[in-house]
Amino acid sequence: MRIPIALAALLCAALTAAGAQKPVAPVPKPVPPSGITGMKGMPGMQADTGKPAPVAKVPADTNPMDGMQMSGMGHGGMSMPIPMPPGMPMMPGLVGLVPSVSSFLPGAGVDPMSLPAVKASSVARLKDGDTLDLTAMLVRRTVRGHAFVMYGFNGEVPGPLIRVPQNATITVRFHNRIDLPSTVHWHGLRLDNKYDGVPDITQAEVAPGGSFVYKVHFPDAGVYWYHPHVREDIEQPMGLFGNMLVDSPDRNYYSPVNQEQALMFDDLLVHADSLIPFGRESPDFALMGRVGNVLLVNGETHYALNAHAGDVVRFYLTNVANSRTYNISFGGAQMKVVASDQSRFEHEAWVPSVVLAPAERYVVEVRFDHPGSYALVNAVQAINHYKGEFEPEVDTLGTVTVSGSAAAPDFSRQFATLRSNAAVSRDIAPYRKYFNKPPDKKLTLTMQSTALPLATVQFMSIDTAYFAPVEWVDGMPDMNWLSTAKEVRWILRDDATGKENMDIDWHVRQGSVVKLRIFNDPKSFHPMQHPIHLHGQRMLVVSRDGVPNTNLVWKDTALIPVGSTVDLLIDASNPGAWLLHCHIAEHMGAGMMAVMHVDPR
Amino acid sequence: MILEKVGLSIGRRLSVAVVVTMLAGPTGPFDIPLFATPSVPAARGVARLVYASSPFGVAVTADGRARYDVQVTASGLPAPEKLGAFNSYVAWEVTPDLDKWVRLGTVMNGKSTVGQAELNKFLFVVTAEADSTASKHAGPTVLHGTSPSGWLQSFLTHPLFRGVY
Repeated sequence: MRIPIALAALLCAALTAAGAQKPVAPVPKPVPPSGITGMKGMPGMQADTGKPAPVAKVPADTNPMDGMQMSGMGHGGMSMPIPMPPGMPMMPGLVGLVPSVSSFLPGAGVDPMSLPAVKASSVARLKDGDTLDLTAMLVRRTVRGHAFVMYGFNGEVPGPLIRVPQNATITVRFHNRIDLPSTVHWHGLRLDNKYDGVPDITQAEVAPGGSFVYKVHFPDAGVYWYHPHVREDIEQPMGLFGNMLVDSPDRNYYSPVNQEQALMFDDLLVHADSLIPFGRESPDFALMGRVGNVLLVNGETHYALNAHAGDVVRFYLTNVANSRTYNISFGGAQMKVVASDQSRFEHEAWVPSVVLAPAERYVVEVRFDHPGSYALVNAVQAINHYKGEFEPEVDTLGTVTVSGSAAAPDFSRQFATLRSNAAVSRDIAPYRKYFNKPPDKKLTLTMQSTALPLATVQFMSIDTAYFAPVEWVDGMPDMNWLSTAKEVRWILRDDATGKENMDIDWHVRQGSVVKLRIFNDPKSFHPMQHPIHLHGQRMLVVSRDGVPNTNLVWKDTALIPVGSTVDLLIDASNPGAWLLHCHIAEHMGAGMMAVMHVDPR
Repeated sequence: MILEKVGLSIGRRLSVAVVVTMLAGPTGPFDIPLFATPSVPAARGVARLVYASSPFGVAVTADGRARYDVQVTASGLPAPEKLGAFNSYVAWEVTPDLDKWVRLGTVMNGKSTVGQAELNKFLFVVTAEADSTASKHAGPTVLHGTSPSGWLQSFLTHPLFRGVY
């Protein structure tokens, strides 16, 4: 049902006003989105037609599917397509089933053409004491020629890039003008606990039409990002994310470069002319997380950059996707990694590509030697679980076009040098005595499921011979779509107590150094990598599978591959109640989170 | 010595030694059991795949293939000279169609750390060689195994895909 144009216009005017920080009309209650209704019913209880789903080839000019097929599932007279990889049939036993949650799309019938078109990210250079108004609002985004109602901060996707000096504190007045409750989490910052943005732990949800004032402190130089901490599985992919760059007072903190670029990697799951709806009551795609079939850089399907021959470009890379882990490279251009979440590495290193798990950040410097085009690509090895084969996938995300004119200044000499950062090693030195101590806490990562469709259970029970360290793509989108947080429970299990997820109630003393050992159980029903994020602190990955890490960097998010045992050393310096969770949005939505209390000295 | 005292046969003792050696090393996501050929009936071995070190959460090639450090624990290998004109054992990463052999390093009884494996699916093969630095295999195979990824199989003819469930 569409709301009348006049009402839409009024809503649009109200939302525009919200961006200008004026009082606004309340956001109307969500109503079922036009054209897609009735994602209801219990998987496994549906009548099995026993017939294959109709499969339609996507026209060649609809690039995002890149040859993907659509398996249409009749439901209440509606076509409910879910993109399937090329050559992969939908399992007959799943045909006709739908997730056990009703559907949700932003805007609830608002005509996208009545909304302001999304704007590219602006740069908000702020200094200590400044104030920023940040409004989550509805915007119109056009993807593959189709206009959708989505979200943006201040009408921008990504939201404004907040650039501040280290140790600054700013005030952010957050206004929620979307149709869901929300908050803002300042990912990676060691700020005051009450401004961490976690509902029911540090603050109440900000209802549609409401506001909240954050004091955001930036104690560490690095690259950070902000995003909601309410239904991240919906609000993030719909556009609510932005970067924060915290500049060190040290002018030589990084090597000199010709350009700087902040790239936020995201993906969207779309059918030809529609976004695939989200679960209203709880996340769908709970097995693997929602893996989009349209890959985006800074909200666009093709990133473009112009450079001069010999230019050195520093890229700040942030993965804001719900579930996808990227493997990024620049068409063979020489690349070195210099920093990650909360600090520089002890030692810069040449790398062929950057593995970027959800919520992680890496800073790389790339030199484009010769005139021509360099493709920004995500290159991975997909596993077709149905065929039992690896299938290389290369997605071109953008192009760096290098002109014939020479870089000025020429930083080739500085680029050729791999720096060691003595300041980082000095900062870490007091913690080295703890590297080999026994773990203070142990977690096992696993999952449980109930009431999944029989075909899903049968397939996953026999597909156990091999697990990949990282599932780069969704190799079983039909099964994944039909799994919701009602059927799937992802688990952080405390080995010492057997407690799980929010029943874990760790208390550690401020100033203590906590060694946390995490084991990602490969024998779980669905082994998968997990990017584990700890709020409000910093940590070191001191070893992986018993092998000491010889090039340390302060992190807030660490990828735990399947079957791996990773030791994290947490500098518990910041008092408060802090969330520890998997940053695959659907895994967190299916329970995979716990709280660590850092009790004041 | 202790194993001798408890009366274990030489073969059993070697097997226990393999297990003990494995337990002493880093944990790894995959162990490849190695099978001996008739020329070395007492040989045992395991190739442990450990995620290679990397600045990132997992080590991969530019095209996304996982990179593993390979640690071989072997026992019961006779002196290579006993098999002919050979002086060493060499480990290879081999494509399943045997088309491409990549030298990983030399193997001895006990623990040997050889090179990095980075094929999606591969056979792990140890051969006796006349030249320990050989880049092409020429001697007989003594131990072999299959990467766990090689166990992936097609399910497209399974009843699941014929609508039985």
